[in-house]
Amino acid sequence: MPRHQCAPMLGAVLVSMLAAGAGVSAHHSFAPFDMGAEKTISGTVKQFDWTNPHTWIWVNVPDGHGGVETWAIEGMSPNFLGRRGWTKSSLKAGDKISLVIRPLRDGSKGGMFVRATLADGKVLLPTGDPTEP
Amino acid sequence: MPAIALGFAIATSTGQAAQKAPTPKPPAIEDWTAVGKLPDFTGVWELTFGGGGGRGAAGRGAPGGGAARGALPQGPQLTAAAAAKRKELQSQPREDNQTANCLPPGMPGIMGQPYPMEFLLTPGLVTVVIEAYTQVRHIYTDGRALPADPDLKFHGTSVGRWEGDTLVAETVGFSPLTEIAANLPHGDKMRIVERFRLTDPNTMTIETTVTDPDVLTAPYTSTRTLRRHRTWTIAEYICEENNRNFVDQNGKAGVNLNQAEPAKKEQ
Repeated sequence: MPRHQCAPMLGAVLVSMLAAGAGVSAHHSFAPFDMGAEKTISGTVKQFDWTNPHTWIWVNVPDGHGGVETWAIEGMSPNFLGRRGWTKSSLKAGDKISLVIRPLRDGSKGGMFVRATLADGKVLLPTGDPTEP
Repeated sequence: MPAIALGFAIATSTGQAAQKAPTPKPPAIEDWTAVGKLPDFTGVWELTFGGGGGRGAAGRGAPGGGAARGALPQGPQLTAAAAAKRKELQSQPREDNQTANCLPPGMPGIMGQPYPMEFLLTPGLVTVVIEAYTQVRHIYTDGRALPADPDLKFHGTSVGRWEGDTLVAETVGFSPLTEIAANLPHGDKMRIVERFRLTDPNTMTIETTVTDPDVLTAPYTSTRTLRRHRTWTIAEYICEENNRNFVDQNGKAGVNLNQAEPAKKEQ
């Protein structure tokens, strides 16, 4: 799925979509998220919701005290991502993952997906040219 | 209960009957042949956002989806009353609109979503199947007139005609829950004219003109470009499936992480 790694397109697509107001998230505003911040979390995928209106990645992150805390990361819809190389199996429970997110402003353990890196080095991005045979 | 239900049914059908055209005659083979001679709008189309062919197309400043929650595009000039209303709305913090709660945006915003739409041409009718929020628009091309006193709908009521290779759709009667743009409510007399045409075999432009004498001092026109994706199909989009976003009555937006994670079948 080479489209995942098509980073050069990201800037142009994102900028033009934001200019158009449609945003990366079609159906809600960015208000709850700190769009000026980036936070990296690393852990193990607990569950990947391949659902509308958004995908959610639930990640168990070590809490530093021998336990884990679960983070919830909102991504684009399966409809949008599915036309850009993602599938419902792009992430599986047990996958080691490092995620860059826009954290929730209220400090809850959640955020908006920016990009993810898997154990094999594969990078997942939320945008890009639609795949088209 | 049955009596009440029946009462509703009668009231509804009577109200609609008053506005409807005479019963259309069933399509004949010639009507289907005529459809085959129309421009080929069939298939699934998605707005171009600058990265996928076509130029800039989602229409910086396009009404509705384009401007759904960004700054007001440069184009439209507001009447004094509309400008005052807009200033008042902007003074109240509203972080999101009801789409966060899965209410569809209606017109014109529904035509500016980052999801594809499919055009179906049949005798006397163009149907637009819109993936976002699982919506559908009906543009009647059977010669009927627009209703004089339409019920107010998210998508209004549309009629269309072919001017050469261009489908011209006129729409009136919009729900007060729809907006021209964020914090820009429309008036009762808003009218939207859309001109759909192919500019090359897989590119469509939609020129949208919003007229609203209570809000706009002049008609406001913007253009979007769509790209046809022959291999695509319209996907399911059930917004309530797993919606964790919300906006409350005070306009405060949030994310709900407390509800249980959706059950997943063993794979």
